[in-house]
Amino acid sequence: MGKKKNALTPMTFSLLHATDFADRLLYKIIPPLKAGMIVLADRYAYTAFARDVTRGVDRQWVRELYSFAVKPDLVMYFRVPIDVSVDRLLARRVKLKFYEAGMDLGWSSNPVESFRLFQGKVLEEYDRIVDEYGLGVVDAVGSITQQQRVVRELVANHVKSVDAAREIPSEQPV
Amino acid sequence: MSSQSDSQHESALVDGANGGIQPGGYYGRGIPYLPINSYPGKLIAIEGTDGVGRSTQIQLLREWLEVKGYGVVETGWTRSPLMQPTIELAKSSNTLNKLTFVLLYATDFADRLEKEIIPALKAGFVVLTDRYIFTALARAGVRGVDRAWLRTLYGFAIAPHLVFYLKIDVETLIGRVLESRGMDFWESGMDLKHGDDIYDSFRAYQNKLLREYGSMADEFHFRVVDARRSIVHIQDELRRQVGGFLEP
Repeated sequence: MGKKKNALTPMTFSLLHATDFADRLLYKIIPPLKAGMIVLADRYAYTAFARDVTRGVDRQWVRELYSFAVKPDLVMYFRVPIDVSVDRLLARRVKLKFYEAGMDLGWSSNPVESFRLFQGKVLEEYDRIVDEYGLGVVDAVGSITQQQRVVRELVANHVKSVDAAREIPSEQPV
Repeated sequence: MSSQSDSQHESALVDGANGGIQPGGYYGRGIPYLPINSYPGKLIAIEGTDGVGRSTQIQLLREWLEVKGYGVVETGWTRSPLMQPTIELAKSSNTLNKLTFVLLYATDFADRLEKEIIPALKAGFVVLTDRYIFTALARAGVRGVDRAWLRTLYGFAIAPHLVFYLKIDVETLIGRVLESRGMDFWESGMDLKHGDDIYDSFRAYQNKLLREYGSMADEFHFRVVDARRSIVHIQDELRRQVGGFLEP
C-alpha cells in the first residue's frame, strides 16, 4: 500500500515493520513456542535494527521499540561482503526492490549503486549488532553445504544443551 | 530484546515522552534526520475523551485565530492518508490486538508529524491538533500496555507549546454522548470484554480513561479546562489562554 506510492518515511517504514512484526510474534511465534516447538524465523528484530538505523532512525529508539519481542535462544547471522551480495542478487533477479535498494534515501538514482551504498551501510550496522547481542556468525561466502554444516552444528549444540538442562519428564498416567 | 539492564532502563525512560522537556522540542530521542532547532510555528493540542466537545472547540478556535491573521493547520488522530484505511479495516475486522493497535496509531502519528505538523510549524503556522499522543497513552494504558515503553515509543513526538485538557466527569459525559450520537463500540471499550452491556462498559471504560488522563495532567503540564460548562464559556477560556500565549 504505502510502498507502492513511495510514501514511507524512515520512521513510518520502521513503525509499520514493527507493527507487522508484532502481529507475527503474537500469532505465529509465541503460540508454537508455548506448545514447545522450535520456531525458525527468517530475519528478526535485528534486521530492523540494521536497516532502520541505516535509514536514519535513532539507534536506541528502535531497540526500545522492539523490547516487546521474545529474545531468541539462538541467532545466526549470515555474513557476506557487499560485493558477493550484489553479485548474487544480480544473478538471480532482474530488478532490485525499491526499499531493499534504499532508493527512498536518494543516495543514487542507479538501483544497483543505491543497493551497494545502502546495504553496505546495513552490513556495518550488523557488525555492531553482532557484538552487542552476541550473534552467531555464519560465513555465507562458502557453499551451501559448508554453511549448512555450520548451521547444523550451532543448532545441534544448542538443542543438546537445552535437552541437558531440561528435566526429563517421568512417565505419568494421563 | 533490549540489551540494557533494568537500571539502564530507568535512564531510557528519561529519553521518552515526559514533561521535563522544552515545549516545541522532541520529547525523547526524536527523529535524527529531522532536526527541529528553531521554527516560527506553534503546536497546540486539544485533548480530552470521546464526546467531550473537542472538535467544536477547535473549529471555533480556528475561526478566531484566522480572523486575527494566523495561518492555522488542523490535524487529528488517525487522519493520515497513509494509515487511516488500514486502521479502519483493523477496527472493523477485529483481528488486531492491543500491541499492534498501539503501533498502527504510532505509525499514523509519525506520518502526520513528518508530513503535516513539522512542515506547518516550520512554515510558521499555528497547528491545532485534535487529540495528541496523550489519547494514545491513555487508551493503551487502560489496556495494560507498559507505560514506560509507550513513553519511549512516543519519544519522537514534539512536546506541544500548549496542551488543553477538556476535563469532564463520566455522568456529564454519558448525558452528552446519549443526546448526540450514542455510544459506540470502541468508545465504550467493548474490546475489553467487560460484558455485553454497552452502558456499563462505557461507564467503566471512560472512568478508567479519565483517571488515566488525570494522571498525566501534571506529568505533561496539561492546562485543565472544565468541559462541563457551556461551549461559549469553554471557548472564552481557550481564547484567553491562547491569546495570552501568542500575544503576551
